[in-house]
Amino acid sequence: MRGKAHDGETAAVHEVEVEVSSWAISFRLGDEVQLWRLSEIEVEPLGDQVRLRRRGQGARLTVAAEDWRAAAAGDAAPVARRHRRRERRLVIGLFIAAAAILLFVFVGVPLASGPLARMTPPLLEESLGETYAAQLQFAFPPCAGEEGQDILHAFGDRLEDGMDTPFNILVEAVEAPMVNAFALPGGRVLITGDLIAEAETPDELAAVIAHEAAHVEQRHVMQAVWRSLGLGMILDAVVGGGTGAGQQVVLLAGSVTELRYSREAEAEADARGQEILQALGYSSEGMAPFFRRLAGDEQRGERRAGVMEFLSTHPDSLGRAAASEGRARPGAPAFSPEDWRMIKAACDGAPRRSSSD
Amino acid sequence: MPESMVAPEAAGTPLRLEQRAKLSSYLGLSLKNGLLNLLTLTLYRFWGKTEVRRRIWASTYLNEEAFEYSGRGMELFIGFLIATGLTLVFLLLVFGIQLLGPLAVLLILPLYVGLIVLIGFAIYAAFRYLASRTAWRGVRFHMAGSAVSYGLKYFGLMILAGVTLGWAWPFVERKLAEPLWANLRFGDRRFRFSPVAARKEKVYGPFALMWFGGVVSYAAVATFFMGLAMQPDFDPAGDPAVLAAIYAAALLFGLLFLLISLPYRAAMMRSVARGIQFDGVKVRLKIGALAVGWLYLGNILLIVFSLGFLMPLVQARSARFILNRLVLEGEVDFGAIHQSAESGPRQGEGLADAFGLSII
Repeated sequence: MRGKAHDGETAAVHEVEVEVSSWAISFRLGDEVQLWRLSEIEVEPLGDQVRLRRRGQGARLTVAAEDWRAAAAGDAAPVARRHRRRERRLVIGLFIAAAAILLFVFVGVPLASGPLARMTPPLLEESLGETYAAQLQFAFPPCAGEEGQDILHAFGDRLEDGMDTPFNILVEAVEAPMVNAFALPGGRVLITGDLIAEAETPDELAAVIAHEAAHVEQRHVMQAVWRSLGLGMILDAVVGGGTGAGQQVVLLAGSVTELRYSREAEAEADARGQEILQALGYSSEGMAPFFRRLAGDEQRGERRAGVMEFLSTHPDSLGRAAASEGRARPGAPAFSPEDWRMIKAACDGAPRRSSSD
Repeated sequence: MPESMVAPEAAGTPLRLEQRAKLSSYLGLSLKNGLLNLLTLTLYRFWGKTEVRRRIWASTYLNEEAFEYSGRGMELFIGFLIATGLTLVFLLLVFGIQLLGPLAVLLILPLYVGLIVLIGFAIYAAFRYLASRTAWRGVRFHMAGSAVSYGLKYFGLMILAGVTLGWAWPFVERKLAEPLWANLRFGDRRFRFSPVAARKEKVYGPFALMWFGGVVSYAAVATFFMGLAMQPDFDPAGDPAVLAAIYAAALLFGLLFLLISLPYRAAMMRSVARGIQFDGVKVRLKIGALAVGWLYLGNILLIVFSLGFLMPLVQARSARFILNRLVLEGEVDFGAIHQSAESGPRQGEGLADAFGLSII
């Protein structure tokens, strides 16, 4: 067959006559005879032509696709088969790699996050918490009622006596448009003003605070930090910053699974929170009614936006209410009526505060 | 065996560039790439991208001879792994600095400055990789010059654009194009970039239109938002109608800005093309604002309605659109062009890929 060749040295065109044998093609290029084994040839389709090259070499040969097909039908067919086989192997390899990454991200990282959290030096966790708190104070400024804040601080200090933790439990009431409580790394526990308003008895508030303190003690907070770090970084890294097909889908799927604590961690914090209260002689009966009331709201169809937030980060409220009821023991109230009034007033803003001064 | 002979070709051969991509053939490729991306957690994208480039190059003809793209998916993949490693180091640094306390945030600032230099570096490295994997008649392109100095230049020019409130932007764009083309080589021959020729294309009129139009439409949208926020029952999270209005306004602003920037985009493309020279060949790009608008509109619709799946089709369409409007004036002696020993970088444009910067 006839073809056009380039020698890989200059941009000149050589008209060549190509001979095809069962294992190679050959043609004369300048002074040299080119002998290309079929096993070394790579084929690139170009419309009604094909461009052939020998792996790792600059020379090129372009022939009519029809001629090449005729030649390839008998002898050069392995070239096309080899190409298909290589692609199949690539896709299978990538699929296995993807499955391994998913396994690592969704099984390995959560499994490793517990030991990693326990190995994290408390000092590191504390300074991480400082940074979080510094960033959070713009979104969730502390409530202005100093007396109420002092009482909450003192309660946090008392909780430490019943706990096995190197951290300083620092309870703080913050302004935020939702009913919720969260623990930061390093021992800070934030309670929103809406949650304080929602709590009907000191026992209920004490139960929530003890629950969050238990998350700190059990290093659940640090565990969540490691998990979200691992999930986010690995998925972002694999997928890259691009916006191409599929990339956003994968990132979205990753963010959905990033629940704050696992159910086991929540159950553990419930039980441990009650234990801490009991060890200090406080009532541990506040958790069940609080959870039941919020969940009841939802069942009656009253989906208040703030309450939904609490329920979505504290799942299975009714089940946990029942479980905690079984463990509940009566005890002293965590706050005196006077203290309770101060706490309730802590987030009510400036006017109430100045009148109580 | 019969003698081979060098096809007679005049020492001065005129040039004709033609992009013959059959767009319908990219539908199947788009589907294949998209599905394999989903199946492999998008790891297939490097090979998918390589196949798209190979096809676009192979359907681009200069004097009836197709270009050749010889890049490999594996090269892009390795480049990506390297970039990921570097990004990880960067993130760990930022994370570690945060542990030093709130004031340490000041230490992060220089890191972000470094990031801008890195973006320039990545653009140059990606261009270098593309050039080195492009050949025509078996002769490779390659890039001289340094990606680091391009990164520094990029940083300086971005600062200049910032302090001039954008008014230096046309100057910046030409300055950024210059090293990319002036360092490009085909075999042993060099491309040149003539700032004088590039400046013959007037860009400041269209730029002023874009700048003032941008400010005015931004002010209009900002006023709209202010009016919205002043209303007593303003609650963007709770009211879907308000949310929809916000998105609609943002979209409107985006489209409006795109529309008034079209004359400038077209003028800048013409200007850069006009600056490019090769062995006495001059380049002209015959493209106007309407044509660019048509190209962008089609691309946006294709991407939005296919959720990104038709990206390969969009890339082929863009290449065909622009390359077929390129006119090459002058003649070249191809027999005198020799291969260069330079073989280019070993791995792909990882950083550019990580920043979403590679052109195709």
